[in-house]
Amino acid sequence: MTERLSNAFGTSSIGGTEARASRSLISLIVPVLAIGAALSLLPLRLGDSRVLMGVAIIGVTFGCYAIAFNIIFGSTGQLFLCVGALAGIGGYGGAILGDTVGMPIIVSIALATIIASLTGGLLSWIAVRRSLGVIFTGIITLIFSLSFENFLLGLGNLTGGESGFLIESGASSFVRRQIPPYYLMLVLLVVFLFVHGLLRRSHIGWAFRALRDDEVAAELAGIDVSRYRVYAGLVGAAMLGMAGATYAFTEGRISPTSFGFAQVDVVVLVMLALGGIGTLYGPILGALVFSVVDEVLIDLGQLRVLVYGVVLIVLFLWIPRGVIPTLRSAIARVQNGEQESDPIGNAAAGDP
Amino acid sequence: MLDVRGVVAGYEGGDVVHDINFHVDAGEAVMIIGSNGAGKTTLFRALIGLLPMSSGTVMFEGADITGTPAHLVTRLGISFVPAERRLFPNMSVHENLSLGAYPSRPDPETMSLVMDLFPRLAERRRQRAGTMSGGEQQMLAVGRALMGQPRLLVLDEPTTGLAPKLAAEAYEALGLLCDQGLTVLLAEQQVPLAMALCDRGYVLESGVVRTEGTSAELAENPEVQRAYLGVA
Amino acid sequence: MTANILDGIVLGLQFGLLAAGLTLVYGLGGVLNLAYGQMAVVSAIVILFSMNAGLPALPAVLAGLVVGGLAGLLLDGTILRPVYRLHGEARVLLSLLLTLGVAFIVDGFFNWRYPSAGLSLRIGGGPIRILGVPMRAGSLMASAITIVALAALFWFLRSTTLGRAVRSVIEDEEGARLVGIDPHVILRLILTLTGILAALVAVTRSMVAPVTVTAGFGLTVFALIVTVVGGLGSVTGALLAGVILGVVSTIAASEIGTFLSLIILLAAAAITILIRPSGLLGVRG
Repeated sequence: MTERLSNAFGTSSIGGTEARASRSLISLIVPVLAIGAALSLLPLRLGDSRVLMGVAIIGVTFGCYAIAFNIIFGSTGQLFLCVGALAGIGGYGGAILGDTVGMPIIVSIALATIIASLTGGLLSWIAVRRSLGVIFTGIITLIFSLSFENFLLGLGNLTGGESGFLIESGASSFVRRQIPPYYLMLVLLVVFLFVHGLLRRSHIGWAFRALRDDEVAAELAGIDVSRYRVYAGLVGAAMLGMAGATYAFTEGRISPTSFGFAQVDVVVLVMLALGGIGTLYGPILGALVFSVVDEVLIDLGQLRVLVYGVVLIVLFLWIPRGVIPTLRSAIARVQNGEQESDPIGNAAAGDP
Repeated sequence: MLDVRGVVAGYEGGDVVHDINFHVDAGEAVMIIGSNGAGKTTLFRALIGLLPMSSGTVMFEGADITGTPAHLVTRLGISFVPAERRLFPNMSVHENLSLGAYPSRPDPETMSLVMDLFPRLAERRRQRAGTMSGGEQQMLAVGRALMGQPRLLVLDEPTTGLAPKLAAEAYEALGLLCDQGLTVLLAEQQVPLAMALCDRGYVLESGVVRTEGTSAELAENPEVQRAYLGVA
Repeated sequence: MTANILDGIVLGLQFGLLAAGLTLVYGLGGVLNLAYGQMAVVSAIVILFSMNAGLPALPAVLAGLVVGGLAGLLLDGTILRPVYRLHGEARVLLSLLLTLGVAFIVDGFFNWRYPSAGLSLRIGGGPIRILGVPMRAGSLMASAITIVALAALFWFLRSTTLGRAVRSVIEDEEGARLVGIDPHVILRLILTLTGILAALVAVTRSMVAPVTVTAGFGLTVFALIVTVVGGLGSVTGALLAGVILGVVSTIAASEIGTFLSLIILLAAAAITILIRPSGLLGVRG
């Protein structure tokens, strides 16, 4: 167990997977589309239940959040404990731009995305300039999260404070109905998945892997670690902002607890612990499992939090890299035991 | 007193020292010489319990201390002064020395012995260790090790970062201690100083013991002369 | 204004005591204990139930302190075992995640089972005038206990062999091992102590305002803020930062508004991290 832990925690990030990116675009497009197709069938089963569709929509939204966090933390080791806040900038930003300022929904979402993205990039840039390690980055972003929540509560005139923001834009459109929001968020999910996959296959992805495995070596190899960290911050935060804004408009009503640390960041962490930090499909698996488990346990009320605590402990003790990498290692070991072939060839085939 | 056999030790990347055998008899001063990267520090850290050994045994005064963790090895009568010294920077000279006697209270006689040996420490009793010069810190490190009333004193490159005059002073102090019967084992790059102090020595190169002998024998050895004594 | 400053000092002393436990554990073992607030809550609940069962206040409080200590010991013996096998950043990260899990377990359980439980220790007696400001007996008692506890902690760290051993591990763990100190034993001791301190915080806090089952994370966040500003590993720093932040936030709360006072605290921590990461008096970076 110690070896697995030190493999997982050996560098400054958890769960660094070494998967070598396969160059073929097909091996990205096919699984992503397959996942999208499979998930799009969901409303056929659950479409009648408003409650369950709601759960599904939230599940997909969190899947989006998880992919974004994966890019920021899994790829470049920046512990951004402000996932909720960045999504909240998207959500509240979009709501304010749409309702208070009166912009069209699409424009509001786009602008909110940009603002969130810049905020994320700024946080990365600050962390890089001040050489903040993982812990201090975590603390600073946590502070940002908590401050954001407080600002939302305090600036009641602008944000509706504790009771929330009732969004009027798009109130009567298809965006608010029972099923279309699901497809809207699903499209985002597929797009994000695709973007992440493309990133991993690009030279940017190569740089990410290098700097996560050994930062010093990466710098010496000529990789501008700071620049890539800021890229990751910009992209990840953009995703968060977009997902948050879109979700806000479909939901129609947001409050500080929609984007709070305890409600969002913690959940995303558990999802990634389940699915695998740093992997491509981990967030999907994690979001799926978590949504199902959470809904099944709904009657336990607060006791669910206890369950998540146990899950967190168990996961990080025994499966620190998440289910997908652990499974893949197990499969690779079996394969390598059975065949003589080149481990690189085989292991990469299972990417990511 | 100290009997080391077959020690193999290293780090995650691989073993650094292979099959090391040497011994130190009571009352002797023994040196391990070798250039950078030869494995001296790795060897010492393994002996002292700061680093796990892949294989081998270490016997001290007849007892097997292989694999004993550092904080227990110290209590058995071996004090180690690492190259980095590892002092407590925000604590005073006095506090650093007192802790050397842990878990016992500092013995006043030993304390005054250390103060006599290193008068500069006596002057700076209350000064914070982190604010002292390199030479003073080295003295403090040795003094702290002595507070534990060791029967074997192990030093890793005690002259690191010391000006020649201070290095000579350090070895003078060590000489005094040896005269009083302390057994000393040290690793050193600055060979002439060590040779003057020590009775015997081993030459470590690329993780193995290449040569051994008395100081006189080593001084005569042409390879040693070329590599470590600056003789062409 | 004087009233605010005095209230601020009362609050600040609490902050200092609160942060002391967290900062010691971090400075010693590089372990971030996010279950800290929950340790205080557990003790509070134990005291509450003891008193409800008929136990007089003092034995109940002692029971709470013992439970706090046991909680620390338990944490060391179970969850933190795997954490100790790692080093540096990996250790902090894992300790963070695992103690977070523990915090959830405790929070989830208590919020589910005893959602409205809260400990309130009433100290009798009317208000006492300090510098012309009427102070509640509860606040004064809480401050007195806090001062005594902190003084005892300082005395322990400075003047006892064991206390020096603790400081030495914070300063240089390897150096400590070389003089015969077992860092694991010291860590276990300090974690137990930290549990007792957390319990004490619960006790003193409950003299001023009720300590409810939901208080856990809030306490941890405050402790974290004060720890960061004071410097990780320094108890003196924790006290200093605590008092300063306590006074500043009380004045801010009364002059401007409560939500802003929290933002000021958060900002103080953020600024410290950005400008002087070692904090006011920190040892470990």
